[in-house]
Amino acid sequence: MALHLNLLHEEILEQRQRQRDPLKIGMMVLGAVGALMVAYYLWNAYKVLEIRTQLGQAQHDWGKVEPKVTAAQKRSAELNGIISTTKVLDSMIDGRFFWAPFLEKLSRCVAPNAQLTSVDGSVLDDGKISVVIEGLAAGREPRAAAEELRQLLLEQLGQSYSDVKVEFKALEDLDTIVNIGGSNMAMARFGLNATFATTATKPTPTPGPRTKIREPKS
Amino acid sequence: MKLIQVKLSKDQIQKLMLSTIGFFVLIYVYFSFFLGPLNASRDSMLAEIDGLQGKSASSKSELIKTSNLEKQANASTKRFAALKALSPEGAPIAWFPPRMKTFFANQQIDKATVRLENSVAFKETDLANWMRYNWALELPQADFSTLAKAVAALENTEPLLSIIHINIKAMPEDPQFQQVTLSASTAIVKR
Repeated sequence: MALHLNLLHEEILEQRQRQRDPLKIGMMVLGAVGALMVAYYLWNAYKVLEIRTQLGQAQHDWGKVEPKVTAAQKRSAELNGIISTTKVLDSMIDGRFFWAPFLEKLSRCVAPNAQLTSVDGSVLDDGKISVVIEGLAAGREPRAAAEELRQLLLEQLGQSYSDVKVEFKALEDLDTIVNIGGSNMAMARFGLNATFATTATKPTPTPGPRTKIREPKS
Repeated sequence: MKLIQVKLSKDQIQKLMLSTIGFFVLIYVYFSFFLGPLNASRDSMLAEIDGLQGKSASSKSELIKTSNLEKQANASTKRFAALKALSPEGAPIAWFPPRMKTFFANQQIDKATVRLENSVAFKETDLANWMRYNWALELPQADFSTLAKAVAALENTEPLLSIIHINIKAMPEDPQFQQVTLSASTAIVKR
């Protein structure tokens, strides 16, 4: 076996040590990691740029739609306001009490031997109607004539209204004698208090022709 | 197995530690000042895109809803316009009494006088643009039958007018005629 002499032993060792220099290796690793990180950053930046483009497009689209939507919302609010206001006004209109049909019914109840001197009607806060009627009745039995008027009024109002009450507030004989159809008749003064509610049936607002006239009793 | 023995000099150890610190600083700077803001910007833009897309989607339904509402509200709109047209321009005290005088004159009831008693705002929030005016209408000489017809016509032609009190008194000197007082309230648009 030939003898092999390494005369450059120290130089080779130095070279090996330089190659295994941890600082150098560390720097290489650091460089590699840095390169990866830069690449990853650039990739992300590219993605962000794409998203920014999408955002710009979305903003552009919204910019075109927004005025229409704002106008639509405004119009919608306006229409809702109109609908609700009309509803309230319609309920007010429908909830009114029509006096003309009442006056028509009242006129049907008054016979020639009776005369109304005063009618005072009010719509109360609870929606009920209160009417005070004062008048004169003549006949052999003037109190009976007044009672007949009360009964007829009760019947007539009961056809259109609910909770009808017609009560005498006053009924007194008068000394005055009146001549009706050639006959002398006694007189009585009466006061009636009528109350009723309008919820039962809705009266028609226009009065019809006068069809029924009560015959006077002599 | 071959073990490599690395002997580090003091200078090398210092450099290695410095490099390690530098590495961590680099990592920190990278995430805090580069990748972090980039990701935050991306997240905020994505959220903004989502918001805009949501708004766009809801705006379509909003437009359709408004279009449908417009069709449904057609009758209400016309009715509202008709009711509003009952209130002319100007102060009600200026136009309402003459209108009533003319109305009753057309019904053969002369000498009608109309007084404004008061005006109040409605409690209903939907009627914020409307006012309630209370009027006293005096008809010094009216035949009962003519009066009833006039009241019927008034109730039919003035839907926003409501008679809340009626007083009819026979005139002692002329029993054929009655003295009438009406209290009426009207809903009138605020001008």
